[in-house]
Amino acid sequence: MNNFLLLLYPRLQSFKHRARSSITKEAIKPAILSFIGIIFWSGIFFIFYRVLAYFQGIEILGDFLAAKLLSMVFLVFFSILIFSNIITSLSTYFLSDDLQLIFSFPVSLGEIFLTKMVETTFNSSWMVLLFGLPIFLAYGIIYHAPLIFYGLCFVVFIPFLIIASCIGVFISMILVNFFPARRTRDILFLLSILFIVFLYLLFRFLKPETLVNPENFANLIDYFTALKTFSSPLLPSFWATEALFPFLHSNQEKDIGFYILMLWSTGLSLLVIGNWLASRIYFNGWSKSQESRKLRLSRSSFFNHTIDIITRPFSPSTRVIIEKELKTFFRDTTQWSQLLLLLSLVIVYIYNFKVLPLEKSPIPSFYLQNLFSFLNLGLAGFVLSAIAVRFVFPAVSVEGQAFWLIKTSPLSLKRFLWSKFWMSLIPLLILAQILTVVTNYLLKVTDFMMGLSMVTIFFMTFSITSLGIGMGAIYPRFKHGNTAEISSGFGGLMYMIYAIGLIALTIVLEARPVYILFMHQFRKLSIPMWFYLEITVAIFLILLINFAAIIFPIRYGLKHLDSMENIE
Amino acid sequence: MIELINLTKKFGNLTAVDNINLKIEKGSIFGFLGPNGAGKTTTIKMMVGLLKPTSGRVIIGGNDISTHPQEVKRMVGFIPDRSYIYEKLTGREFLQFVAGLYGIPKNGCDGKIKQLFQLFSLEGWEDELIESFSHGMRQRLVLSSALIHDPEVIIVDEPVVGLDPKGARLVKTVFKNLSKQGVTFFISTHVLEVAEELCDQIAIIQNGRVIASGSKEDLQKRVNSKDKRLETLFLQLTEKEGLRSPVTELDI
Repeated sequence: MNNFLLLLYPRLQSFKHRARSSITKEAIKPAILSFIGIIFWSGIFFIFYRVLAYFQGIEILGDFLAAKLLSMVFLVFFSILIFSNIITSLSTYFLSDDLQLIFSFPVSLGEIFLTKMVETTFNSSWMVLLFGLPIFLAYGIIYHAPLIFYGLCFVVFIPFLIIASCIGVFISMILVNFFPARRTRDILFLLSILFIVFLYLLFRFLKPETLVNPENFANLIDYFTALKTFSSPLLPSFWATEALFPFLHSNQEKDIGFYILMLWSTGLSLLVIGNWLASRIYFNGWSKSQESRKLRLSRSSFFNHTIDIITRPFSPSTRVIIEKELKTFFRDTTQWSQLLLLLSLVIVYIYNFKVLPLEKSPIPSFYLQNLFSFLNLGLAGFVLSAIAVRFVFPAVSVEGQAFWLIKTSPLSLKRFLWSKFWMSLIPLLILAQILTVVTNYLLKVTDFMMGLSMVTIFFMTFSITSLGIGMGAIYPRFKHGNTAEISSGFGGLMYMIYAIGLIALTIVLEARPVYILFMHQFRKLSIPMWFYLEITVAIFLILLINFAAIIFPIRYGLKHLDSMENIE
Repeated sequence: MIELINLTKKFGNLTAVDNINLKIEKGSIFGFLGPNGAGKTTTIKMMVGLLKPTSGRVIIGGNDISTHPQEVKRMVGFIPDRSYIYEKLTGREFLQFVAGLYGIPKNGCDGKIKQLFQLFSLEGWEDELIESFSHGMRQRLVLSSALIHDPEVIIVDEPVVGLDPKGARLVKTVFKNLSKQGVTFFISTHVLEVAEELCDQIAIIQNGRVIASGSKEDLQKRVNSKDKRLETLFLQLTEKEGLRSPVTELDI
């Protein structure tokens, strides 16, 4: 037990030092992160509060729906936690740098297992726990639950998290005994992305919006009957729901104690089994994870040949950067698998326009189509920023600790950043134009609106890309486990804030002239002279803002990279 | 060929490199020695453009790195002590990449790449991903990359770290041969045997200051020692400047 606490000591101290330095040195960072966290937290609370209040208004079915929702929440949490624990435990149990040192200490495998279990559970669960709290708070408030309900939430949640962690760790321990750890992590990362894409597409194509239509209520009952198959009494998510829901009913005669006991006894016995399993297979798996396989790549594949042709017109230094980017991108599963996420995002985005019931609206469809087209500009800008934060923002950080090679080479940093800019711009520009044209086509907008959207998105893509490259250089993260991590940090968040601000500013500047134009066209009035002056000023300001957004981020990024003292 | 003039680097209140002045002739192998934390790596980082000096100048081949960084970098090959390179490239692609950074077209370096793979015993690994290379192989690949553009000056931070005796011997031979062809070396190392065997000029740095420089004979005269071994000279010089002998300290 003593060793268990001792092994946790470095992690706890590092956490303490990091927290202290972030408070004293970078007070702005935690403040912004907390602010955004509070917005998300409140958003979750608000949505659940509204949904539960709505359910409460439905007679008979209301409580059933609320219970069903709670069981779905637990089931989703349980699946997310298992997946996240598998991926986290591959790092903490098998790939972490401190393991070399820990295995050389005279501590038992059981103690290492338990320490790493605490680390894994914390790393993979804190976010689920934090953002799960507003859900339970909403339940508590709507159902006027007694105070004990909130305490019981923790009593239920702790063994629930332990069970998910143990299952995740067991799976990764077994997998690592058959496959190399790094490869397993890559494959699982890909699988988890596919899983998210599948859930996302499934959810969208189920058309949840039809559920608010009372005519579909018969379908809703069918839907929940079908879902019943998921709530097996053997699942911990079922026990957690059964342990909590009676409190919300003031129907406490149900055997709450039994389900809490089920959760705790399962959690603790899994820890004992884990300890036993660790003594049998953990060291063998860790030892295997040190081995690396020799990988033979095709010497002159079609892919290499294509890259060779594409990059031929460029100068040798620009050419090698483009080649390196493309090759590393497609060889890194964590990078290209994100393309799947992007693809599903775009499919759902376009699909939403296809199913818009414009003809049912009481507002004239001419007006509505053009209004939507205008709003679409903002949405398309947002989709582009979301893509850019994943692929453009990390462009500098992907150099990793090998960035010394760029800095010590005769290639100027300015050229390096602009090469990255052009390389990111071209695919984004193509995507932006396709998105805008297809959605506007589905909306059947006027030629004027089509032209305006295309020109605006054209300029916005330049500024979104430059902002991504520039801010990626201002907030580089050369030390990262995988590229997906880069955009999830503070810099990525700041990039999204700036990008959304830029899009909003562009749209706001365009809004008034476009509105005046439509109103005049709609009322069949002649366009006054002052309108032309106003539209000229608006266009000038839009160009100025976007031009500044193209030039300054890269300039500041360059300055930051140039003066950077430490790239290791 | 290399000139460091009043070179100083401060990190807040800490002066890591304090007013260093050195002059290194073309074709010589210069050893830069010193205990841990003496300022060796900081000096090297300023020489290759990874750090900006607080004051002073670094002149290589007549060009100041602050005002003409591209010209200086074009004639320098740098070998860092830790070989962070692109894991997802193959060995050949990595060398093609570095060659490209120096403006050498892809088809213009095939012969050189083949020659370097042979020289550093990496044949058969050209088309393997770097992630499957051992530490020593990576170090040999970085050495190859520093030679791809035929540099006039090579700056090395710990040349034999991570290399087996055969690899270390190979590196020393390559350095000696290149020096005969007029390539200038600036080598920072802890391994005194390497400095003893390779270097014709030596400087010892401690607490950011150069406490002694010259040939081995000059250093011997300075401490008035009969023992010619560099290890003895190094310990005597550094102890004299305030670093107590670890053996005396621990009373072993």
